[in-house]
Amino acid sequence: MADERATNGKAANGEDGDPMAAFRELRDTYLNAWSKSMVDAVNTEAYAKASGQMLDAYLSVSSPLREIMEKTMLQALQQLSMPSRADVISLAERLTNVEMKLDDMDAKLDTLTDFRKQPASAARVRKPAAVAPPNTRKGKR
Amino acid sequence: MVEAAVVADQFAVFAEKLTDFSKTVTAKVSIAQTPKELVWTLNKAKLYRYVPVLPKEKRHPVPLLLIFALMNRPYILDLRPGHSFVEFMVSQGYDLYLLDWGSPGPEDKNLKFDDYTLEYMPRAIRKMKAISGVEEFSMLGWCIGAILATVYSALRAEDGLRNLILLTAPLDFSNKQGITFAKWVDERFFDVDKVLAAVGNMPAEMIDYGARALKPVDNYVLNYLKLWDNLDNPHVVEGWKAMNTWVTDNVPLAGGVFRQLIVDLYRNDRLMRGEWMIRGERVDLSRIRANLLTVIAEGDHITPPCQSEAILSKVSSKDKELFRTPGGHIGIMAGSGAHKITWPHLEHWLGPRSK
Repeated sequence: MADERATNGKAANGEDGDPMAAFRELRDTYLNAWSKSMVDAVNTEAYAKASGQMLDAYLSVSSPLREIMEKTMLQALQQLSMPSRADVISLAERLTNVEMKLDDMDAKLDTLTDFRKQPASAARVRKPAAVAPPNTRKGKR
Repeated sequence: MVEAAVVADQFAVFAEKLTDFSKTVTAKVSIAQTPKELVWTLNKAKLYRYVPVLPKEKRHPVPLLLIFALMNRPYILDLRPGHSFVEFMVSQGYDLYLLDWGSPGPEDKNLKFDDYTLEYMPRAIRKMKAISGVEEFSMLGWCIGAILATVYSALRAEDGLRNLILLTAPLDFSNKQGITFAKWVDERFFDVDKVLAAVGNMPAEMIDYGARALKPVDNYVLNYLKLWDNLDNPHVVEGWKAMNTWVTDNVPLAGGVFRQLIVDLYRNDRLMRGEWMIRGERVDLSRIRANLLTVIAEGDHITPPCQSEAILSKVSSKDKELFRTPGGHIGIMAGSGAHKITWPHLEHWLGPRSK
């Protein structure tokens, strides 16, 4: 998110009699013009194309190196009988599913607690909103 | 000799100012100071309830849930004491909740809008209703949070949403020429699948760069120059430090969400066209019946005003309003004028509708 810092301080002109006031005014005029031209520049198709090409080139060059590093790391971890990144990720996914089940149980307990607190004649049971069961297909989360 | 002494003095003053500037730029200040309690968690998401400051009989019975963007910290809504939307609303008697999405890890790279709107949000809202003992609630969504709030409102229209507030909501992507991001992620120039295959989740640094590149001179030069010019103004410096702390604290965006954002929204405008499928359900905006307030920032270069107007004609809400205010994407809620314009307007709109 681009910053829009709250800088409500004095204007660039500064106080009366400030010898730097004229310089600051010239500086700000130049920078505002440069700002406007840069905003126009980044809005062009040429900029979009250029930045896309740079990103694509970086990814193409770095991809083989990344693959080698991942394979090497995986082999090293296997040799050391240590879990790989994929193992840890799989564990984390299962933990999230367990959390969801616990949350659903907690909601049901809340409802039961509410129901038991109210007198039978005035009971107005608030059912917990049903939430679709978590998608446990591999790769979904 | 006298001239040499004057020059030496001026150099010393300059050096001291440079030291102050360096310290300010790198300072991290305490933010999100309004007292709150953690009431629910799921994976990285956390639901906070702010501690009420008014007695129950003076509070609005309908709670308000704040939903911010997925790739930024939500404490922009509670920046610093004396300049915090959260603090303001709590003082006005709102039962206030904030859903903090947290920072996704590698295991979350497949999370999509489907998961956030149909698993995380319903559970958080269920907990909120249980704590507050109500069936109806209000929801405020800002930026990507507005997309989440809109999708949830359409898919779960019967869940008790009474009031919906959308701030700088990027919902309409039909005007490609007017949206800079849309040009950058055009399928001719940006291979989203290649990027995500390499990074998994969209890194915070890339998102931050993309946002700053919209106004490069402003973000990389002018903002620091304004700080330099106002180093002797503690009010300006404190505000700058707080905002800088937030701006430099971004989080990654789950890969699945990023892909949907680019392909479904920026490239194909599926939400407004009524073609967006979320877990097999079509997001039908006409199902939204909640009272609706849409806020547009007229100086917004991230979400241009054209992206937030069409929603009004799509919903079935009888009570709806479009509020335009000067300011930028973040400035309308966290800038120096927010407490005079946006916050009072939100409160005046929501108050009578929260009884």
